[in-house]
This record gives sequence, structure tokens and C-alpha cells, in this order.
Amino acid sequence: MDKDIADFALSYAQSKKVDYAEIRAHTEKQEGLAMKNGVLDAYFVSVDHGFCVRVLADGGIGFASTNKWTKEEARAIVDMAHKFAKMAKRKEKITFTEEKSVKVNWKAEEKKKISDVPSETRIETMAEIDKDLTSHGINVPSRMLQMGSNLTDKYFINTEGSAISSYVPRINVFAYITVVENGKPEQTYKQFGYSGGWEALDHWKLKEQMISETKVLQRVIKEAKAVKPGKMDLVCGSEVAGIAAHESCGHPMEADRILGREMSQAGRSFIYPDGPFWLGTRIGSEVVTVVDDPTIKSSYGYYEYDDEGIKARRRYLYKKGVINEFLHNRETAAKLKTRSNGSSRAINYDREAIVRMANTFVEPGDFTEEEIFEDVKEGLYMKSFTEWNIDDKRFNQRYVGREAYWIENGELKHPVARPIIETTTKVFWTAVDAVSKKVEYTAGTCGKSDPMQGVPAYMGGPLVRLREVFVK
Amino acid sequence: MSETLAKTEAVVKKGKALGADEVVARTTFGRYRQTRFSNNEVDITVAWNDYVTDVALSWQKRFVVTQIHDFQNVDETIKRLYQLAKTSKENPMYGGVANGKFHYNRSKADRSIENLNQTEYVLEAIEAARKEAGPDLNAGGIMFSKLEDVYLVSSEGPIGEDCRSAVELSIRAFSQREASGHGVECSSTIKGFDPLRAGQKAGELARMAKNPKTGVEGRYDIIFDPLFTGALLAMWGSMTSAFQVMIQLSVFVNKLGQKVTSDIVTMRDVPASYSMANRVFDDEGVPVKENVLIDKGVLKTYLHNTSTAKIFKTETTGNAGIVYPGPWNLELDAGDMSKDEMLRDVKRGLYLTNTWYTRFQNYATGDFSTIPRDGMFLIEDGEVTQSWKDVRISDNALKMLNNIVGISKERQHVHWWAEADPPSLSPYVLMRDVQITRPK
Repeated sequence: MDKDIADFALSYAQSKKVDYAEIRAHTEKQEGLAMKNGVLDAYFVSVDHGFCVRVLADGGIGFASTNKWTKEEARAIVDMAHKFAKMAKRKEKITFTEEKSVKVNWKAEEKKKISDVPSETRIETMAEIDKDLTSHGINVPSRMLQMGSNLTDKYFINTEGSAISSYVPRINVFAYITVVENGKPEQTYKQFGYSGGWEALDHWKLKEQMISETKVLQRVIKEAKAVKPGKMDLVCGSEVAGIAAHESCGHPMEADRILGREMSQAGRSFIYPDGPFWLGTRIGSEVVTVVDDPTIKSSYGYYEYDDEGIKARRRYLYKKGVINEFLHNRETAAKLKTRSNGSSRAINYDREAIVRMANTFVEPGDFTEEEIFEDVKEGLYMKSFTEWNIDDKRFNQRYVGREAYWIENGELKHPVARPIIETTTKVFWTAVDAVSKKVEYTAGTCGKSDPMQGVPAYMGGPLVRLREVFVK
Repeated sequence: MSETLAKTEAVVKKGKALGADEVVARTTFGRYRQTRFSNNEVDITVAWNDYVTDVALSWQKRFVVTQIHDFQNVDETIKRLYQLAKTSKENPMYGGVANGKFHYNRSKADRSIENLNQTEYVLEAIEAARKEAGPDLNAGGIMFSKLEDVYLVSSEGPIGEDCRSAVELSIRAFSQREASGHGVECSSTIKGFDPLRAGQKAGELARMAKNPKTGVEGRYDIIFDPLFTGALLAMWGSMTSAFQVMIQLSVFVNKLGQKVTSDIVTMRDVPASYSMANRVFDDEGVPVKENVLIDKGVLKTYLHNTSTAKIFKTETTGNAGIVYPGPWNLELDAGDMSKDEMLRDVKRGLYLTNTWYTRFQNYATGDFSTIPRDGMFLIEDGEVTQSWKDVRISDNALKMLNNIVGISKERQHVHWWAEADPPSLSPYVLMRDVQITRPK
């Protein structure tokens, strides 16, 4: 990365009549493989590096990026961003919050350097997983395995004096598998993600997890019974609690959605100025606290400073069942007269940083896992999910169980075939009466914006028990 | 030969000189511009210039790919790629890339697209929506333009240049907090591109959608607006990729030659010059062509690159994806009905205009759900009688395909975000007996 070119671009932007300008440069070293049914389809390597400029002038924002590292190109993109900002002709001028400038270098811990891991090891690792999947007595006719790593160096500077250099290595695995038993297929999708080095493999225990998943699918096909639709107690596993935290708490609490900036794509929020839900409004029971925290070391959504140079911290979104704090960048925080809480993220130099989640989860409660179940006379344990979706105001949602069991007098009984909870955000979180002590996380890629930006994220929670909700 | 094509060819020659069996290099110089707006004002205007060469290299059935940016570090990158191929694992099913010299149609791209004043188009669309929806309009969306110069050289013969242009305006208009409509205007050229059309459509639907009532569960006949049809075509069309078939993420596995839908359905993949996905060759350098995927209800072909075609013992369809094939631009053949005739045909049903968040329980069986958004309307005795909200389609992709009973004469070129993607030429569609659910 040629920091001199980035510095030149900022000085050139400063020489123009701008209210604010920043340069964000990235080097993205990517490496990945795709293995279909045990055959390596392709191995991919790439180094992408470029930089962008974002300019605030006359109350408008202009943004331009390039991967051509010359002064001439730097001038051209600054001129373009400046022109775009002035072209906006906004009646309501955009402003950014005042924030402290920062000079810092930070990086994620990488115990076993990813760059030291040869391609042969990566290929062999996935080939072994595939072999394990096909040699343990369960028919898995279709396996699609992908492994990727992304080593991100960033350099951020702005006209307020901030200068931040960072390095975050990330590694991920995706798996789509189909199990067939008695001619009937069941499918699953698993994602693993980690910020750090090759030690991720020790944490993930891919073989055990993948084989366990095939056993679950086989058992669903062979033994699962349909649930009789009706109101019942529902225990959500950490994966289900996590997706609910992400979809029906994290997303509606993004201030850019609340203010309408994503209205045409990802949508708006059931929370809006002068609406029935706002800061201080109850949305769930007393035992519900949902947070978003980028600072969890090794988490897939880990970062110390966001893409506007703001220090990251834990955000209490729903606190004891009450809407508590939105996710903000400098633009939304200025509009709502507060401070940024470091939620601005971009996937690469050629994308605008916008308000995003990082690691969103239900905070632990007081119950042991045994206590969560023992008080359920008849109900359902939805450990994991398959199909899911939510409306664009983040209120009407649906989760279909992938691994689920009937509970009788506190004990798990037979598997249940694709039970469905289709409910609202308010009903879901209000029905929670108990939360267990141990949080577990699932990796995901959160999609938002146009062009689509998929950012690494964790979602998670402990066991969460809901009373008397409709399951079908 | 242009300078960029010569540099691209040099990449291929370097790979061959090292000992590679096949090398394909494709350089794209892309100029992308986008204006994002919300609350009736421009939020940000964005430009990104991208100079990238995608390189694919094979050696003894080992297949590796990389990207070179702005022709930096070419020697080092190709050497590393070749070494990577040598340490990679053989793919016994690898069938190579296209071989031969091809003649390409001349691109009809519109170079004027690069320097549009997008703000003016955006403000025009907002005003058009306001005229329909009223003074309380709140509109948001994007205007996007793409101009790509593409240079492709393959060691197996194909060599060519292409220029690809696209322009799109997408606007979502709100007349009330929960009453919205969405309109899109999509084209490969600025000629005939009319942002007012998108604004009017969004505004009209937003006006119709006022004071929505919570919908009622049940099975309904449904008229899908072209934008919604675009999302359905994207779902069905992507499942015709041979890759998706091979990993069973498709309802079309083992269904070639079989009836998969009603007789009135003919679906094609056509990267035509009008389309936002216009191109003259695929990523192997094979001239693109029209492919009939479903002919009068019968599944005729999957979409292939050279390698998947060999596995299926057929010819490439010109849909590479250097690694995996996929559709470019889907078309559903026009039918014989008008939208009004469809309405008259519905005793109790719904008119749905847009959707998002389509997710599957099981791609092989086709069980899925999707969430309609923007205008959704109850039809009773052939007339729209209510605006609805908060419903979901929870059904089966294959069954829905079979339940198509009407297709309109009118079609629109649509594309929207990640939902109606890839772009398509979409009619209104009348479908019987679709399951609607709602939250409890």
C-alpha cells in the first residue's frame, strides 16, 4: 500500500473547499477454494488494493474510489467526489458529529499466521472433511465446501487529524450438504467465521460439527413428527436466539434505517421518530438484553475502530426489554443529536461505510440449561433453523426449525419436522421468561446496502425460553 | 489490437510460457456511478473505477484463478498462480475451456452513460412519484450506471473486445408510513430511458396502498407485477445452472425433458442488447446466445460452461462463469392476456407488486417463503378492493411454476437490488392457489 498516495489525496482534498474529507485505503489479500462433492473446482488468490475519498461539502456527500495508485488518479477521484458532494443540492444539509481525532495502529491477534498455511494444507483440510462426510454411514450425495481467508490492511486518514492503521485476518468456511434417506432429501447450510489465524480450525472442530449435522438431518428424515399447531412453550437454541437478535433487534436499531436512508433496499424500521416505538419504549420482557459488540477478540465481526475512525464499544440495544441505544455512524448521530458509537463499516475501499452490526447477541441470564427445560410441561426446543426471513420494517418474522425436539415434562423426546414460528418482534421478545447462562455464537454474513455489502458478523445467545407462543 | 488487449494477451502468453495448459484472461475497465437518495433528497453520489484482469489457468486438470489489478505485478502473480496450480489437486471432472476462433456481434453499448447528471434524473423521478402519491411523498432509491470495456484473450483461441453499458433507476415511494410502491426503469442505453415511468409507477402504487389492512391467511390466486415476476424468474433461472443442479440447490435435478410447468410457460436466457446484462461473449470467450430453458412447460436445458457441458455430455450454452455457469438475462415469453383481463379472471385473490427475503428450507424439494412488500392488494370479483400488509408467501417453487395460468402481453425489463437479479424481461403472471401466511 502506497500511503504517500493516500496522504497526497487527503492534502489535495484539503486544498479544496470541503467541510470534511477522509481517505480509506485497503489491501485485501484473498485466498479461497471451492470443493464440490470431493472435487476441487477451483482455487482462488487475489490481492486487491485501492483507496477511496469521501467528501462532505455544501451539505452533500461525494464518494469516489480507484485501484490505480497514481497522483493523477488521486486528483481525479478527489475532484469527482467534491463535484458529487456539491451536486447534491440538498435542502437539509448533512453534517457529521464532532469526534476526537485518533492516531493509532491496531491489529487482530493471529496465533498461526494464515499466510504461512500453504494451499496444499487448505485443500487437504477440506478434502478430509469431505471424506469424513462420505464415510460415516450416512448418505450425503451432495457436498459443497468452501474455505476462504481475507487479510485486510487498512489505512484511514481524515481532515480532522485521525490516522489509523489496522490489520485483521479473517478465515471462513461454508458448507452446503444434502442428506438423503429413503429417497427423501434434507439440506443444511453451515458457516464458520473467525478473526485471527489458522487456530480457527482448532476452535471450530469442523469434522465433529459436520458429521453431527448429517446425523441430525438423517434423524429428522427417519424419526421427525409434525407438531400439532397451537400455543406452546418454545425454547430457542443459541442459533435461533442469535438470528432473532440479529434480525429483530440489530437491524431495526440501525439508525440509518430508522432515518430512512436504506428505505429502497434493506428497508426502514418499526422504530421511527414520533412512532409507537422509540428510545425508552418497552419491546420485550425484563429478562431480555440484546447487545452488539465489535470488541470481542477473535469474533467474526471483530474491530477496534470503525471505518470512520471511531473507537468501538459494546452497545446495549434492548436493555432489560427496553429500546435503549441505536447503532450510529457520524451522519446518523448528528441527525439524532447524539454521538457515534462506532458502527460504520465498509467491506472494501470501493464501498461507502454505512451503519452495520458486528456481533449481536442476547446477553446471558441466570438460568442453568436444566432449569430452562425442567419447567416446560409440553413444548418445543428449536435448536437450529433453516428457512428464515423478516419484513423490511423488521417486525414480521419467521424461523423454521432444522433441529428441533418435542419437550415433555422437561425432557427432550422425538425430533420435530420443520416446526415454524411466524410472529412479530414484540410478541417474540415479550414472551421470553428465562435466559440461560452460556452464550454461543454462529458466524454469518450480514447483507445490506446497494451495491450489496456482506459484512462478517456473529449472532448468538444462550438458551431463550418463550412462553405460550404459536408454533405450527 | 488495442493496448489493453495486448496487455491482456501478454498475461496469457506468460502463463503459457511457464507451462500452463490453458490460460484465459479478461480485463475489465469499469466505470460505475451511483446516486443514492432517501427522504426525497440525494444522500450520496458514488463513483468507483475498477481496473481488473481476471485470470484462469489450468495445468493437468488443476484449475486456479486470480485477479490482477491495473496490470500491477503481472509476472509475479502469474508465476505464483502457476505454482499454485502445480500444488493444487486434480479435478478429474474438469472439462477445459472453450476452444476455437469465434466471431462476435458488435456491442451496442452506450458510452454516454458514464457522464450523466444523475441528480437530475433522480429529482425528475421523485417529482413524478409526488404527482401520483401526493404531497406527503417520501421517496428513496438509487440511480446507477455502468460502463465496462472488456478485453478477453484465451490461449485456446477466443480473443475479443466488448463494451457493456447499463443504466437503472429504482425508486420506492411512500405515501404513508406503511403504504409504498416500487418502480424501476432499466436499460442498456440512455435512449428511451425514462425515469418518470419508474416514479409514476412507484407513486401510483403508493397511493393505491394507502391505509393497508393486515392480510388474511389462506390460498389465493395471485397476479404478480413484472417486478415480482423478476424475482421469481431469478429464483427459477438460477436453478437451471448446471452447477446448482450438481449440488442439488435446484428443483430441476433429473428433470431434463420433463414437464415442469404449465404449457403456457416458455422461459429463455437472452443477454440481448436491450438488457442491463448485455454482452457479446461469456467468460470463456464463447459468443452468447439465446437459450430456451423451458419450452411450453418442458425443461429443455441447464445452463453450461464448457466444463459442466462435458459432464452433462452436451455443448456449452455460452453461460460461463469461468468457474460456474449462470443466467445472464431471463425472459418469460409474452402471453395473450392483458392485466385487466387477469384482474377480471380473479374472483378472490391478490395483486402483489414486489418481494424480498426469499429463503428455502430445501432447494431440492423447493419449499420456501418470501415476503411481499410495497403495494399488495386484495382483488374481489375482478376489482382491487383493499390494500394489505404483513403477509408472506409460504409455498413450493416447483408447484408455483406449475400453477401459472396466465401471462400478460405486456412485459417490462426489470432489475432490482439482490432480489430481481439477474435482470429479466418480465410480464404480469397469474398464478392459482398460492399459500399466504401471516404472523401470530
